[in-house]
Amino acid sequence: MSLAESHNPQEIGRPILNLGALIRTGLLYAALSIVALLVLLPLLFALSLSVQGPTLSPTLLPDFSKLDWSSFQDVFREEPNLTRWIVNSFVVSLAVTLGQLITSALAAYALANIDFPWKPLFFFVFLGSLMIPWESTIIPNYLTITRLGWKDSYQGLIIPFMASGFGVFLLRQHFKAIPRDLYEAAVIDGCSSTRYLWSILVPLSRPALATLAVYTFLNTWNQYYWPLLIVDSPEWRTTQIGITAFRSSEVTIYNLQMASTIIVMLPTLILLVLGQRHLVSGLTAGALKG
Amino acid sequence: MRKPVLLKDSVLSDKRVGLPIAAKRAVSQHQQRKAFGLALLYLSPALLFLIAFTYIPFLRSIWLSFFITNPQGDTVRFNGINYYTRILNLDGSGRSEYLQSMLTTVYFSLLVVPLGIVFALALALLATLNVKAILFFRTIFTSSIAISVASASVIWALIYSPTTRATQWIIDLLHLNTHSLLQHSSTALFAVAFMTTWTSLGFNFIVTLAGIQAIPKDIYESARIDGASSWQSFRFITLPLLTPTLLFLMLISTIQSFQAFTQFNVLIGNEGPDSATDVFVFAIFTAFWKDNRYGFASAMSVVLFLILLALTSIQYRLLDQRVHYQ
Repeated sequence: MSLAESHNPQEIGRPILNLGALIRTGLLYAALSIVALLVLLPLLFALSLSVQGPTLSPTLLPDFSKLDWSSFQDVFREEPNLTRWIVNSFVVSLAVTLGQLITSALAAYALANIDFPWKPLFFFVFLGSLMIPWESTIIPNYLTITRLGWKDSYQGLIIPFMASGFGVFLLRQHFKAIPRDLYEAAVIDGCSSTRYLWSILVPLSRPALATLAVYTFLNTWNQYYWPLLIVDSPEWRTTQIGITAFRSSEVTIYNLQMASTIIVMLPTLILLVLGQRHLVSGLTAGALKG
Repeated sequence: MRKPVLLKDSVLSDKRVGLPIAAKRAVSQHQQRKAFGLALLYLSPALLFLIAFTYIPFLRSIWLSFFITNPQGDTVRFNGINYYTRILNLDGSGRSEYLQSMLTTVYFSLLVVPLGIVFALALALLATLNVKAILFFRTIFTSSIAISVASASVIWALIYSPTTRATQWIIDLLHLNTHSLLQHSSTALFAVAFMTTWTSLGFNFIVTLAGIQAIPKDIYESARIDGASSWQSFRFITLPLLTPTLLFLMLISTIQSFQAFTQFNVLIGNEGPDSATDVFVFAIFTAFWKDNRYGFASAMSVVLFLILLALTSIQYRLLDQRVHYQ
């Protein structure tokens, strides 16, 4: 905190103090860098293993004179399904995200803008869904999807996740924050309620929609339990199932294993850098779900 | 929170006070029906999916838990509460492996939760330092929220693997008779817990940082004027004012650690040493997936639901208090 003082104009022309401040800043950066390095250590470990070539006895640090980046290409040849897994994950994550945005926006609109009888009851239905953990629904869902013949299919991976109580709540809260007068004015001007939702409410709630989108995409991309259950054949695996299955396959080639893991992490890491604000607000709001 | 809206509604309806009561009722009934139809139209997509894939399955889980099932998942014979007495070791058989796995889950969360909070607090305090590149460091501290538990498990499986020897020094230090921390009954659960702490580090950090940033700056300012040291302002300002956030984080992490599955399946699978890592969710998975005992697995999932419900209701009560507090 006290470091802010070093920017005080009064201190210009007091070189000794400036030197002290400089050392202080240096020490702070050193501490921050060491901690950052510790936090990133597992990732650096993965990167280190991926550039050591197909060795059976990898070391912690690579030989920096001959880094072998070919694993990032070879892994697509060694595991021809990797491309398909990435496509699967993208299709599923995008479809679930879009589906949740639509169902949540529609329901949130009704809860926030329309006065109708038994509203508290419907509100409670959405609230109650947050209390039910996935472990308590997964066995009947698995039996249903199997009976429908939806194992190894996009609909089996997507349809069960098309709505979320969390999404409804998040958007309802934002829709409620938009002044009611706007709705009344729009209706007087002859705006239909669907049009109001689509051309006024949605553009005004873009940050909330982005938060829900980033949060849902990340969660779906990282899903593990559900795809593990309903995917049998290798080409229907998502990335998460793919990399863990790749690991337990008989040939243990460490550089390819780590390369595929890093490749699969890239989309969400990029999402973190680009949409950190949305991701953070989504995660902190989503945490309430438990 | 919703009180003002209700007030506003009653004010709106008061505008029609001039109408004869019967006419008013007819108009409002017609309007209400129309509003209800419209609302239902908007609610139906979300409702249908939630009913089909959350509510009906949940009720079916409860139903299944009272039956013996065949491998196709059809109910075969009514079984009463036998599965529940078996899980809770009330059937007199003396076999307590499911109570044991609940206990293992509690141990696991007792490792994950305090570790997670200590690390998060340390990172969050560092991230409040006033240096130019702090946003860059904050992004790094947050990074683990973008990494899936599955990816993290694959990486940590190699960190704990005897091939890379990355954790050999710990084995040597503790004089353990094992090749890997994951294969020794006294360290396996701790190894999984430590890896779990890393995967939840980003989230815990973000929540704690937000809590620290919500503390008004002028409190620190006046403490500084009164001559408080930075340790004193941490001890007597930050820590007490952060307590609600930390309690909230504690409950969230407890709930999450009760639900942890991926890391146990990838890092350990069925090869856990002396059942030291048989957490409850993994026991459900074994009954469900490996043994196809759908009725029994459903009974276990209902027990888990009740445990999580208790934790969640504490969490909501706590959140209420926090709102009042602010």
